[in-house]
Amino acid sequence: MNDCSNADIRDQLPDLLHDRLTVSARAVVLAHVEGCTDCRDELELLRGVLGALVAQTPRVDIAYIVGALPKAPARTTAPSVAAKRRWADWRVAAAISVLVAGGSSVAILNRAPGVPNGELAARAVEVADTQTATPSVVRSTTPVVSAKSAAVARETIASVDQDATTDAGPDGRFGGLTETQLNALLSEIERLEAVPITEPEPVTIKVNVGTPTPLSELPR
Amino acid sequence: MTDAEPGGGNDGQRDLELIARWKSGDERAATELVERHASALARFAVSSGERTDVDELVQDTFVRAFASIDGFRGESSFRTWLFTIERRLLIDRRRAEKRRRDNTEIQDSDSATGFDALDGMVADETQQRLQRVVQRLSPTQREVFTLRVAEGLSYKEIADAVGTTEGAARVHYHNAMRAVKEFLDE
Repeated sequence: MNDCSNADIRDQLPDLLHDRLTVSARAVVLAHVEGCTDCRDELELLRGVLGALVAQTPRVDIAYIVGALPKAPARTTAPSVAAKRRWADWRVAAAISVLVAGGSSVAILNRAPGVPNGELAARAVEVADTQTATPSVVRSTTPVVSAKSAAVARETIASVDQDATTDAGPDGRFGGLTETQLNALLSEIERLEAVPITEPEPVTIKVNVGTPTPLSELPR
Repeated sequence: MTDAEPGGGNDGQRDLELIARWKSGDERAATELVERHASALARFAVSSGERTDVDELVQDTFVRAFASIDGFRGESSFRTWLFTIERRLLIDRRRAEKRRRDNTEIQDSDSATGFDALDGMVADETQQRLQRVVQRLSPTQREVFTLRVAEGLSYKEIADAVGTTEGAARVHYHNAMRAVKEFLDE
């Protein structure tokens, strides 16, 4: 008895015997087997071996086997899995609620108008410095202008800070600025240079289609 | 002997359902699980050379399986897991038998000559010949060949059952098939 050279098909013959192939794979294997004597012989051999193995196996006594099995676990009166899950869900929901409420409280407290002037001023300087550190894609004039803006911002904030300290209420809070001081601060902010856009300006190229231009004279 | 048990070994989902039912106290689920897999276990036992007490071996396999059912994680099929347990029991039995033989100094052959007791059960001469051919395979080849041909297990499932790799199972199968053909051509 010879071996077929198609190892893939031979590999699938036991699966064909036990009907474990997909519809498409079964069709492929059957088509091959139909035209291959070696595979037909091998499939017959497999059928014969299966029959021989089944024939030599004595009938097993199911009742005898089942009789020796351990008893199934008794049904318990403990809370069901669904009930346990429901309790767990409530606990999770309660924990989330506490976390959300606590987080919201902290956020509201941080936003309250009781933040010291120095802290606000420091934040403003940080913003100005960030503007100075604009990435290199910005045009080359940007760092100079932005540096100026940062300097103006520092001066403005320092003066406002000083004024606010003197004119603020007894608690020395930034929220105690007068309307004039606020207007002055706003006008100073308006005078600050904005960071220029990073997009390049549009370039117009004129093409002369009449007379050909030498390569050396073309605009670069 | 019925070969085609209801559901066969491919319906792993049904096995999982039955296991869950048994765990929740349903005794009938155990009966159905035994009905589904007992014949395959008996075939594997006989083709592995177990000639007596096949019922006891299959029973022991199920007892062990149900006693440690919590250890079944469903990574392989339930039938593959049962084959693994049965194979370990077979190895234990053979060791015990070897010790007993060594003690009594009785030499007993392991393969073809000891097969005569089953001859009366087999009418067909071709089947007898094939049975002898399978018995001449090496133990590992016989296990792999039986699981592949008689049970239709994939190489992955066979590898899980006999504790080897998928590639090694494939090689064992093809070596076994070549040996079977050579034995038949003698």
